[in-house]
Amino acid sequence: MATNASIARAVAPRRGVGRSLLLTLPIALWSMLMFSQGFMRASRATKMASLLTIVFMVALFFQMMRTSETYRWRRWFFVALGFLFPVGFIYNLVAARGTMGIPIEEMIAGRTPFCFIPIPMIILPAAFTRSIIFPSSILGNNGNTAGIAVMVGLWFALSLVMGKGWCSYACFFGGIEEGFAAIPKRATVKKINPRWRYGPWAVLLAIVLLSFAFFEPTYCMWLCPFKAVTEYVAARNLVGVIQNIIFIALFLGLVVILPLLTKRRTQCAFFCPFGAFQSLFNKISIFDVKINRELCNDCLVCRNVCPTMAVNAESLAKGETHMACMRCGACVDQCPKDAAVWHIKGTPIAVKPERARLMYIYGAWALAIMFGGSILAQSTATILHFFM
Amino acid sequence: MKIPTAAFGYTLGGVTLAVAVLTPFLLIGLFANGFASLGLHVDEVYSGGPIVRTVNAQGYTVAIHRTVVPHLLQRGETFVQLDWKPVGALPPHMNELVDIDGDGQPDVRVSFDVPKNPKEHLHADIDALNARYRTVHGIGRDAFTSMIVRADDAILVRVPLAKGAR
Repeated sequence: MATNASIARAVAPRRGVGRSLLLTLPIALWSMLMFSQGFMRASRATKMASLLTIVFMVALFFQMMRTSETYRWRRWFFVALGFLFPVGFIYNLVAARGTMGIPIEEMIAGRTPFCFIPIPMIILPAAFTRSIIFPSSILGNNGNTAGIAVMVGLWFALSLVMGKGWCSYACFFGGIEEGFAAIPKRATVKKINPRWRYGPWAVLLAIVLLSFAFFEPTYCMWLCPFKAVTEYVAARNLVGVIQNIIFIALFLGLVVILPLLTKRRTQCAFFCPFGAFQSLFNKISIFDVKINRELCNDCLVCRNVCPTMAVNAESLAKGETHMACMRCGACVDQCPKDAAVWHIKGTPIAVKPERARLMYIYGAWALAIMFGGSILAQSTATILHFFM
Repeated sequence: MKIPTAAFGYTLGGVTLAVAVLTPFLLIGLFANGFASLGLHVDEVYSGGPIVRTVNAQGYTVAIHRTVVPHLLQRGETFVQLDWKPVGALPPHMNELVDIDGDGQPDVRVSFDVPKNPKEHLHADIDALNARYRTVHGIGRDAFTSMIVRADDAILVRVPLAKGAR
């Protein structure tokens, strides 16, 4: 795959240090506000973890301002989130339960942590029967889990701001495959049938209907690759063993091996039903990424670097990205002609794209600090506890 | 008249930024409370359903839940959950007649051991005393609709109903 990072960097405008610092100041203040509670805690590890997270997030934002690039700085955060989230999560699980397996007692007590992925699956059963088909608690459970309501509230607020940018700034799973995709210099598998792009929609349709029919979160029970690194169904019988084999096979295939071979986020691009569902928020988000046809020379660098195949010849001809665009900024950063631009709907494409980028990045990064940053701090504190 | 779409776009962009700033202080709570106020509940196959009656025994109570009927293609069978608590007040071996429907006549006999080690697996025998319930022996925790588990300070037993019973 052709990655034209050097070209992009050469043409990317660079701001002065002073101006970059000034633009970073609101984010620095926001970070301190978000982590002020971390400093009030007695634990030295928590204080240190909060400080490290602030420095990390502010430094990355400063680089975004200084270089006018988004993708590679965001990727540092996102990969760190993807790899650190399981550390804190597993540690807490093992400390509380002694195992990563979900015992039936915990399900009945409503203590299964609710992540965002079941959200599309719970809609139809809730609409028709008022039942949430997930063994958790709506209002939280004695501080052990945040509760479904808080997770839904958080997801909805973040989605209003980020659109499908959720998949680039908030999803604590996507960073794992983005990390693996970043390892090879070139893709081994370059030709991918574009029809695979419809995979997530097919999985979404299937799991929504199956979840409604069988009244269980089908994806979580059978298909979630990330069960391999979070919590899995306790293998009490043959069915449980089969479920765990599926989780591990999907994780190895879609999250490790294929990203290494293709340099793409294959789980997100070809499988993740939540990503497909989240694409709908791109329709209501005011921000998008456009291709300026007057500047574009159809070099297809944007198509080649897009982690989710959201750009192809068809979308380029229309001057836009597909719904699967997750606002990662890869195409914008790497376009040698500056034809791929951040954009606010309703505004002219060629006029002040950096303004659109700043408006999007401020909102997305502020929420990334609040949500992903707190996960980073928590997981870092977990690690530091062993040394301090 | 030309619609000022650019101004509208920038205004909405600004509103989105405002939404981001308000999210941790206001909006998460607002949306979470909105979701919580929809009157939804966790599916009763998981939660066991609401408690309809509590029977006081010697130092402990038996809470009787409403009958839970699985949805159309949902796995499992119709059941009633019984909670014995607190565990500390239960005898080492429980063998109790339970009047589930409150008609003054016992419906099932439930017997199980109460081990001191909370992590020890439990097994129960349920003997149906009328045709509404199903006799099952040696149930563990393999199925949501017919099982015995220890959850916090209670021992929960799910009594399966006979086929066709409601």
